[in-house]
Amino acid sequence: MPTKEQHQELLVKYAEAIVRVGLNLRAGQRLIISNSIVRGVPPAGRALVHEVTKAAYAAGARYVEVIWGDEEMQRIRLQQAPADSFGEYPKFHISAIMDMLKNGDALLTISANDPDTYKGLDTERLGAMQRAHLDNYGPVSALVSRNAVNWCVVAAASPAWASKIFSDLDPEEAEAKLWQAIFETTRATEADPVAAWVDHIKKLRKRADYLQAKKYTALHYRSPNTDLTLGLPLGHKWISAQALAENGVVFTANMPTEEVFTLPDRHRADGTVTATFPLSHAGSLIEDFSVTFENGRIVKVHAKKNEALLQKLVDTDEGSTRLGEVALVPASSPISRRGHLFYNTLFDENASCHIAIGRAYRFTLIGGEELTDEEFISAGGNVSLNHVDFMIGSPEMDIDGLKEDGTREPVMRTGEWAIEV
Amino acid sequence: MNTAEFDQMLGKYADVVVKIGLNLRKGQRLLIRALLDDAPLVRKVTESAYKAGAVFVDVAYADEQLTRIRLEQADPESLTEVPNWILMRFEEYYQRMDAELAISSADPELMSGIEPARIAKYRKAISQKMEPLRKYENSTNWCVVSTASPAWAKKVFPDLAVQEAQERLWKEIFASCRIDAPDPVAAWSSHVNNLNKYRSYLNGQRFAALHYRGPGTDLTIGLPEKQLWQGAQAEFKNGITGIPNLPTEEVFTTPHKDKVNGTVKATLPLNYSGVLIEDFSLAFENGRAVKVTAKRGEETLQKMIESDENACRLGEVALVPNSSPISQRGTLFFNSLFDENASCHIALGTSYRDTLIGGEDMTDEEFEAQGGNKSLIHTDFMIGSDKLDIDGLKADGSSTPVMRSGEWAVEL
Repeated sequence: MPTKEQHQELLVKYAEAIVRVGLNLRAGQRLIISNSIVRGVPPAGRALVHEVTKAAYAAGARYVEVIWGDEEMQRIRLQQAPADSFGEYPKFHISAIMDMLKNGDALLTISANDPDTYKGLDTERLGAMQRAHLDNYGPVSALVSRNAVNWCVVAAASPAWASKIFSDLDPEEAEAKLWQAIFETTRATEADPVAAWVDHIKKLRKRADYLQAKKYTALHYRSPNTDLTLGLPLGHKWISAQALAENGVVFTANMPTEEVFTLPDRHRADGTVTATFPLSHAGSLIEDFSVTFENGRIVKVHAKKNEALLQKLVDTDEGSTRLGEVALVPASSPISRRGHLFYNTLFDENASCHIAIGRAYRFTLIGGEELTDEEFISAGGNVSLNHVDFMIGSPEMDIDGLKEDGTREPVMRTGEWAIEV
Repeated sequence: MNTAEFDQMLGKYADVVVKIGLNLRKGQRLLIRALLDDAPLVRKVTESAYKAGAVFVDVAYADEQLTRIRLEQADPESLTEVPNWILMRFEEYYQRMDAELAISSADPELMSGIEPARIAKYRKAISQKMEPLRKYENSTNWCVVSTASPAWAKKVFPDLAVQEAQERLWKEIFASCRIDAPDPVAAWSSHVNNLNKYRSYLNGQRFAALHYRGPGTDLTIGLPEKQLWQGAQAEFKNGITGIPNLPTEEVFTTPHKDKVNGTVKATLPLNYSGVLIEDFSLAFENGRAVKVTAKRGEETLQKMIESDENACRLGEVALVPNSSPISQRGTLFFNSLFDENASCHIALGTSYRDTLIGGEDMTDEEFEAQGGNKSLIHTDFMIGSDKLDIDGLKADGSSTPVMRSGEWAVEL
């Protein structure tokens, strides 16, 4: 295990990369740090929050606000609150974030969640609690999904999360090992993390530019248990690491990030896809599942474990029966090479090709930010309270790009890029 | 205490907080304001609150280290920045008549070494932002309690290792809050009855002033005609009766803001915004503190009384016998919730509306005309000791002993 000093040094470098590359925080900006899933940053994120706060003030931040959340409070609530009380939702949590986003302030999400937080708890109650959250959180999601401000999602190791991944280690070792994985995949271990990120961002940009130039009308996925065609709408925009926010700041929304992604046409998905990793959703794991589409709609789900939860997710709203993101990641990505699941989308989605049920990001359609919901939908974009990624990539996956003239070209073969850039 | 015993005591404490302190009603929501290190008590209180029928328990955690980082590293110009939502959070709860629990466990030395001007600027900005909340004073059932946080425990028991210091401080908290009594609920009921006797006596006497004499102290505190003595129990505007401070040993009212004269010497240090002010005296003329001296923290004290126009006037006078159980523990807590219940004290700054008869229905102008004080601050400091004598002076010039050598001089 690294010494306390070594760990602290890495934490400082990590925090600096978050502020300078992830958020690219501007002098005079305010910063709000939160976590939408558990309504605030879990206390395990405290040491990272301290370093990010220092780095933010060093970068000229005017004010740093942190909203803390406590997963244990949610568990107690689910077990003991009156059954009809799960619609209760404090408005100020939303006001806090909206107040700052509308002002052009930056938003950082720190994830340290225990994937098993809600294990064994009543799914009806959990569903009602999640529903109230989604209903209330809508305005924030809407601003974030159109990149109104510079925002970023990063992770901090927590004992419960680490023990879930490295269940054979003692908790302290597990936590140290998870921190190591976080530091390495976010390039904090590089001599100059900021320079390493600049280089990485450039490489991803080249892939996105290549796909953009091709203007494929659809992608065709094949593997032993997947045969799926996803239409790509006219004007789809391939995105990688960096984006330009409406407040004029160029930022990197995820650390780590290995993906290039765009939106599928909400009306054109046909075939069956089998997930290659479990999905950690609402504090439970959905395992060994497949999803069948007709004309963009999910017509059937099947899961060996937690099928009801998957069905509930799909039933949330009309947009949850359709897709909102398609992302390409080689099976040899640095995160994939670590050879274990993280039970956390931020990492697992960067280990594997994936698609997302629910909302499409406005910025993945050219001019999408300007459209009304109706216009966005008729252009092929999806609108929903949800945006839930699940993994479908593997070394057995081939992907073709279909062109307007009906010809097809290899995009990925046996899970790796088949294109030269 | 082993872990299981501690857990059991914490559970009892949480029950007392919910049932006696807040007197939480079925169907209420509860907002808990706490520091991250308070989480074990926050969670126990949450369980007790749901058992008592709460529909939702929310916690607003703060991390005081972030405040220190900000005051050290942020651009000084930016220290006036207070986001609107902090105010909106309280309004949302107060408007719905929800209950509120505050946990007081701050590190008394948090701000040690930080430039007083920065702290004052930061404090003032928050006070100003929160000013609109004054109208919700006592509108809903609220309560303040403590946990033995690591930094606070270490300050109180510097000779002990952190964990031992925390265990020791927990013992003090449990004892002061009567959690170690066989039946804490019964113990509280008898304690409240006892405080009520003194409260009734003082309300019956209608003293025009109190005269304090002790080493370094010769102070006359005029009392308004409409003074109302309070203690332990409070009736909130939402119709619930609770005990807003655990522990509590005091009976208190408001001084007349223009009728304080003489000099008072503090008998315990004052922890203000994470800075310790030690060995200090204040001289008053016609209600105003006209001179302050302190061996340590004088600049902070001076800044504090300059926070606004009436921060230099008194807003509370409280009587606590020197033999109070907290005083008898012989420990300086560096936390007002405890130290103010170990000693007679007074407060600079705003008066509580419920310490004047009909005060809650008065306009600001009426309240001030009756002698109530209005300020952004309310800071208690301790002036009691076993050498303090207090006389009650009546309008006819007669004088009655109220306390002698720090103890009640009245037989009830």
